[in-house]
Amino acid sequence: MPPLTDARKKSLRREMESLLGAGGVLSDPEELLVYESDGLTLFRALADFVVFPRSAEHVSALVKLANREGMPFVARGAGTGLSGGCLPTEGGLVISLMRMNRVLEVDYDNQLAVVEPGLVNLHLSWAVGPQGFYYAPDPSSQQACTIGGNIANNSGGPHTLKYGVTTNHVLGLEVVLPDGELMWLGGKTRDAQGYDLVGLFVGSEGTFGIATKIVVRILRKPQAVKTVLAVFDQIDQASEAVSAIIGRGLVPAAMEMIDQLTIEAVEDAFGCGYPRDAAAALLIELDGLAAGMEAQAERVVAACRDCGAREVRAARDEAERALLWKGRKSAFGAYGRVSPAYMVMDGVIPRTKLPYVLGRVNAIVAAHGLRVGNVFHAGDGNLHPNILYDPRKPGEEARVVAAGAEILKVCAEVGGSISGEHGIGLEKADYMPFIFSEADLACMHRVKDAFNPAGLCNPGKIFPSNKACVEVGPAYRPHPIEEKGLAQRF
Amino acid sequence: MPTALLDQLRRIVGAPHVLTGVECSPYVVEGRAPTAVVLPGTREEVAAAVTLAGEQGLPVTPWGGGTKMWMGSPPSRVGLVLGLKRLDRILEHEPGDLTVTVEAGLTLDRLQAELGKRGQWLSLDPAVSDRATVGGIVASDASGPRRHLYGTARDLVIGLTVIGADGRAVRGGGKVVKNVAGYDLPKLYIGSFGTLGVLVEATFKLRPRADVDRLVIARFDRLKDAGQGARAVLGSDLVPSAVELVDDLALQRLGLGSGAALLVGLDGIAPQVEWEVAELDRLLVPLGRRDSRELDGEARDETWRALGALERPGHDAVAAVMRWAVLPLQMAELMDAGTAAAQRNGLGAAMTGHAGVGIVTASLSGSADPGPVVATLADWRDLAVRAGGHAMVAWAPLAVKERVPVWDEPGPTLRLMKGIKERLDPSGILNPGRFVGGI
Repeated sequence: MPPLTDARKKSLRREMESLLGAGGVLSDPEELLVYESDGLTLFRALADFVVFPRSAEHVSALVKLANREGMPFVARGAGTGLSGGCLPTEGGLVISLMRMNRVLEVDYDNQLAVVEPGLVNLHLSWAVGPQGFYYAPDPSSQQACTIGGNIANNSGGPHTLKYGVTTNHVLGLEVVLPDGELMWLGGKTRDAQGYDLVGLFVGSEGTFGIATKIVVRILRKPQAVKTVLAVFDQIDQASEAVSAIIGRGLVPAAMEMIDQLTIEAVEDAFGCGYPRDAAAALLIELDGLAAGMEAQAERVVAACRDCGAREVRAARDEAERALLWKGRKSAFGAYGRVSPAYMVMDGVIPRTKLPYVLGRVNAIVAAHGLRVGNVFHAGDGNLHPNILYDPRKPGEEARVVAAGAEILKVCAEVGGSISGEHGIGLEKADYMPFIFSEADLACMHRVKDAFNPAGLCNPGKIFPSNKACVEVGPAYRPHPIEEKGLAQRF
Repeated sequence: MPTALLDQLRRIVGAPHVLTGVECSPYVVEGRAPTAVVLPGTREEVAAAVTLAGEQGLPVTPWGGGTKMWMGSPPSRVGLVLGLKRLDRILEHEPGDLTVTVEAGLTLDRLQAELGKRGQWLSLDPAVSDRATVGGIVASDASGPRRHLYGTARDLVIGLTVIGADGRAVRGGGKVVKNVAGYDLPKLYIGSFGTLGVLVEATFKLRPRADVDRLVIARFDRLKDAGQGARAVLGSDLVPSAVELVDDLALQRLGLGSGAALLVGLDGIAPQVEWEVAELDRLLVPLGRRDSRELDGEARDETWRALGALERPGHDAVAAVMRWAVLPLQMAELMDAGTAAAQRNGLGAAMTGHAGVGIVTASLSGSADPGPVVATLADWRDLAVRAGGHAMVAWAPLAVKERVPVWDEPGPTLRLMKGIKERLDPSGILNPGRFVGGI
């Protein structure tokens, strides 16, 4: 799309305001800056407009307008994404779903709910909580991220080994297709006839259209929950303990592992009582029936001891449970104590390959003159190496990105994947060939073409392409109000 | 088929693995005999055979265990049947990762036997698992009562390798249970009835075998009461692996008496199952439960097997089988209404349902005359669709299929499906005419 003239911009703004109301359209550069990146602040791109529909009909009209103008468009939820997936890399329209945030219907008898895409993930669980239900996919950003964003990324969280990911909890979607047509995929009943368009749409990172209503499964809350913390002197032992727990017939709700650097950071920052010199801490959470919970916890403790755990603690009540989790949950905050910045990587590996991969990760990061703290969703093999760096040092950010690419190559080498939760987006588009052949990518292109032949719906994502219109690099740039001398940064 | 073409096929798979003429008779598809049957031994041979078929414009019908070839609209053309039984190896089993990668021609029972040696299983329980192959199960999205807790192929497949219409191998997903790289292509192929590619390999996520696996058969006088029982179970703290509603005629066919029943699967460690059995008692007795039996081991397995067999044709003068998808709490009432509709047409109906997910299997019997069968299937479809659900003719003789569409009217999504089909199989050689919307 050629750059919009001022006159065309004014005219389009008026047209969209007449549809959405005066407060529904942003087009001033200062206002647009807020939407120039998502949670991965490394990449920035400016839209021409950010718009705020309040209904599926609004979204449909906006997409039709975009088609008419040949203008690219991309949906945006809370902007908590970590792969640049909602960046308007070719300008155009950012369609924010934040004002479409209602729970439309809850059917407790049939255990489903219908919600709007801008609804915050945790708010859905809060809404159905009083009746004893919850929404299972719970990414760590659930206090901010939206269901629509979860759909785009097929979001997971710590509980995916037992409960699956977003796609396992979605029954139907009302979507605005890339040409503006409003259409239902699936619905409230199962096994929709024909191709699984719902399954295909979830995880398509906003390139197949925009979800405007989502039918989700809600689950009854488990009767009981039990947490065990095990501390190990060697990573191998922690990794074996995970396999040993499974070998004893258990599928814990969550198994989270943090490494030594992370433990040290956590202890410096919050003093949670983890031994500072331990190589790894493993947090295991069981949930389900109260009957037999103690017996299951005993099996977990036995498995950890058999694998050489230095210490194993089982929480005796909710307060103790919160304390055991505090270390894990504070990990990301704690990194701020030991480094001015860190980059969260996201890869997946077969669980059994963890010791080998961690060895490689540490070597790669050291070779780039950096440090790394690892958080591992041990249940499902999702590894988050958090590379610590100083963005003020020239060249450091580039070394982080280079280290990240090498780490993902290792994940691919051992039969894993280059993304477990955060999606490909912009960040990893060039790495797709690490795990997919040319034939695989060609097939994905053909499927995309069936949905998005004009290529206007979230262009520049997922597939290798040039990043010409995206700014990358040193995170700091003076804000326009600084340049005007109206504010200073300290 | 011209000899030259047969010779090319023989060069690809070896002469003993190309069947022609009367040798093809076990591979008839809805009354149509294939021109040849090819039995490749490797995925490269599959790819070469598909490539050749594509060049010749010859339709390809993938064939696993042949247990569901009667499902779908009658084929518009049958050319080459591609039998996958020789691709039957387990390529990788990683017990520590709870994953397994297998070739598509392996039967589910054989896979379970191998996995069982390490105390694991693939948590899928479709019917005739001794003959159904992994590829066929995935292509038809076949499942059983355990889908209640463990999901279906859509929840258990983590990677697939498919030979496309152009003969190229496409790998979707991967070997790890959490993976959001690129599009979720496996979802496209699952349940696609071989119309987008020939499955050659699949990777699944597994579960450890539970210590205890029990079946409780709770009998009631009326289906309505069993339905209330299902509702109570679903709203309770119980975590059953299966919750099945069984009506009078189905119960009789199972040799379990008459009236109605709720079949509940409970698995886990012993203290859990003991608590659940007691809790089930507490919930169901006040709702009119007549009696209750608990089964373990072979007796349990035999009952589940017999339940699965009810959804298949070929016994007791079954005239047609239909599958409905409705909401869980609508099931008992719709099953009663369906039985009444069948009886109005002079027929009998045996019905079972997955009470937690709303899937009903309705089996019609009592007359070989297509007239009343057609009328009842139309009534049934009407019931399901008006309740907001959908209905599919799982099996019917050709004389009935000529008058009752197998699939519901597709609606607006058809253009998306056709768009995908046209791009992945432009010449339309993969299982043409069997799928929704004539695909």
